[in-house]
Amino acid sequence: MNSPEPVQAELATFLALVLFMVISLGLGVVANMVGRVKTGFLKSYFLGNRSLGAFAVALTAAVMSGGTFMGFPSLVYKFGWVVGLWICSYMVIPVTVLGVLGKRIGQLARRTGAITLPDFFRERFESPLLGLITSLLVLFFLTSNLIAQFKAGGLILKLVLPQSVHQVIGTNEPPKSADEKIGAMAAASSDEPVAKPVETKKSTANTFRDRAYVLGLVIFSVTVIFYTAYGGFLAAIWTDVFQSLVMAVGVMILFPLAMNAAGGINAGTLAGIAQTGDDSFAFGPGASRNFHPISLALSFFVMWAISAMGQPSTIVRLMAFRDTKTLRWSIIYLTLYNLVIYVPLIFIFICARQILPNLTRTDEVMPRLVITLANPYVAGLILAAPFGAVMSTVSGWLLIISSGLVRDLYQRFVNPHASEKQIERASYMGTVFVGVLVCILALNPPEYLQLIVVFSSSGMAASFLAPAAYGAFWRRANGLGMIASMVTGAGVTLALYAVGMVWASDGYDSGIGAGGLFAPYYLLGYDPCVWGISLSFLAGAVVTLLTPAPREEHVERMFGLDTPLPGLAKA
Amino acid sequence: MTTTQQPGAPEDPVYKNGLKDARFGMIFWAIATFFVCGCAYFLGYQRPGQKLTSADIQPIFGIPKWFFISVVVPWVVCSVVCVVYAGFIMTDDDLGRDHTDELEQEIREGADIHELS
Repeated sequence: MNSPEPVQAELATFLALVLFMVISLGLGVVANMVGRVKTGFLKSYFLGNRSLGAFAVALTAAVMSGGTFMGFPSLVYKFGWVVGLWICSYMVIPVTVLGVLGKRIGQLARRTGAITLPDFFRERFESPLLGLITSLLVLFFLTSNLIAQFKAGGLILKLVLPQSVHQVIGTNEPPKSADEKIGAMAAASSDEPVAKPVETKKSTANTFRDRAYVLGLVIFSVTVIFYTAYGGFLAAIWTDVFQSLVMAVGVMILFPLAMNAAGGINAGTLAGIAQTGDDSFAFGPGASRNFHPISLALSFFVMWAISAMGQPSTIVRLMAFRDTKTLRWSIIYLTLYNLVIYVPLIFIFICARQILPNLTRTDEVMPRLVITLANPYVAGLILAAPFGAVMSTVSGWLLIISSGLVRDLYQRFVNPHASEKQIERASYMGTVFVGVLVCILALNPPEYLQLIVVFSSSGMAASFLAPAAYGAFWRRANGLGMIASMVTGAGVTLALYAVGMVWASDGYDSGIGAGGLFAPYYLLGYDPCVWGISLSFLAGAVVTLLTPAPREEHVERMFGLDTPLPGLAKA
Repeated sequence: MTTTQQPGAPEDPVYKNGLKDARFGMIFWAIATFFVCGCAYFLGYQRPGQKLTSADIQPIFGIPKWFFISVVVPWVVCSVVCVVYAGFIMTDDDLGRDHTDELEQEIREGADIHELS
């Protein structure tokens, strides 16, 4: 496959990455200027002054991550049509993720004055301990994820660094062909479990002794830390919107090209059946493997449409949207976005079977197809989109962590009397501090990190969804119940993943799902997210009912008509 | 202004409408989940008593028939429902005054009255 196209696309991808970084830096500077106009530094810096517009909410709340954008095509190519069923709960996501809790979280965030997720739970349930546990869980999940994302960013940059740079810094690696680089880039940016073992093997080779990786990591870190620290929440949101739009444009360009090149979708289906030798390429549960039994199909409706409601990044966006009109429009935009992006993506990568037959490393199907079909510069831009997604994910998470440090640690414990100026300085420094720390850890990430990374989105949903839902709608819910709910949710999910991975390392394969070293234990055939979320709701309800009811006055403040805080009526 | 609402006081409209949205969202999710998974299982899954071969693809616009009925059609229908719900049925509510400054003041004054629960 060493055609001339990869070489041209390599240069174009490098240019597109540089373009992405420059645009992000620019957005950071603009966001800083916009943020300065407003009053109240923390609210402006960490929540965009609660004034996010519909487009920003829609395109950042529940859109596929860069990793999924790379990993999903690989699954379609490998297992066939059933992967459409795997992703199709995106059809209801706008209403579940934005509609179910949106209004009430938006209202409660204003009513409690909460700026961070721990703030929100602490004030809603009058429980500092709940706030503390939220902080610790967020720190645990997001820091590990951040390290992994920084590593992905560093690896991608390393791969696209021009050969002259490699010579200057004196790397001892033999130069990779453009073709090899594309494969490695796909593996680096994919976050699908199937792709993980590939990445893990690679990770052992990428330690702090690898100068090109260190250089890539430093360039990535400096860029992201700078625009995030300087521009705050708005910078993170805007870069996210930008990369979502690039992905959308990419899909719309690819769709007609793929249909045309394959000679129709059915040609792709028949090619898939011929190549896998399995009629199930066109049906459930998938070609060559019991990939998606019906229990997992049900699980993935929970996995995408329900789990997404409990992610900290989602809840924070629900605390930040401008008004209910914005919320309604964001549901409409997200519905249309999902319809025109995900449905064609399925068709495109079924067609890929006809265009690029018999790929052995299926996680390369996305970059290879792009390079085969599109003009090199368009291809470069599409290939850079997942890198943009890594950047925007990182900046969003960095801010969630640093907001916790500034609000829940510095302001509440260290210096409650901090002036606006001191808080401002602490916020910039907090973001830079977290970024630098993660960068240092990413120089040589510990192996067990992968465990936390693969189970973290299920784990976060199982921790935070039930307290958020009870907080929004159940008057009787109390702090102790919510502590039980969080601990149970996180614990159950972690246990199921840990058991699955220990067994997988002994060579056990449940036969369902994508398989691999990081497969969880599917109790009764259902994904751990189903168990984690259900048991978290159950534990929350049981412990709440066994412990004293919350203060009636506080409940009224959360559920009744709006009133000022006690003793602050004059303010 | 009093600091408490008496029981039986008028219900907060945001709570009431928020609950309506939540009910709608969850019922909508449940219907979609069971319709899509049910249809897919009966029309498009290899299972005991149903051995599907390439003759069963019966493509509609190139898409296998089972997939068209179980995924594509529901996706379009769901999208229409989402747009209609958000555009015409979901109400606009006043989310109320932002108490951020009051919480800041509370923290600043060290007036945090909550005890570790």
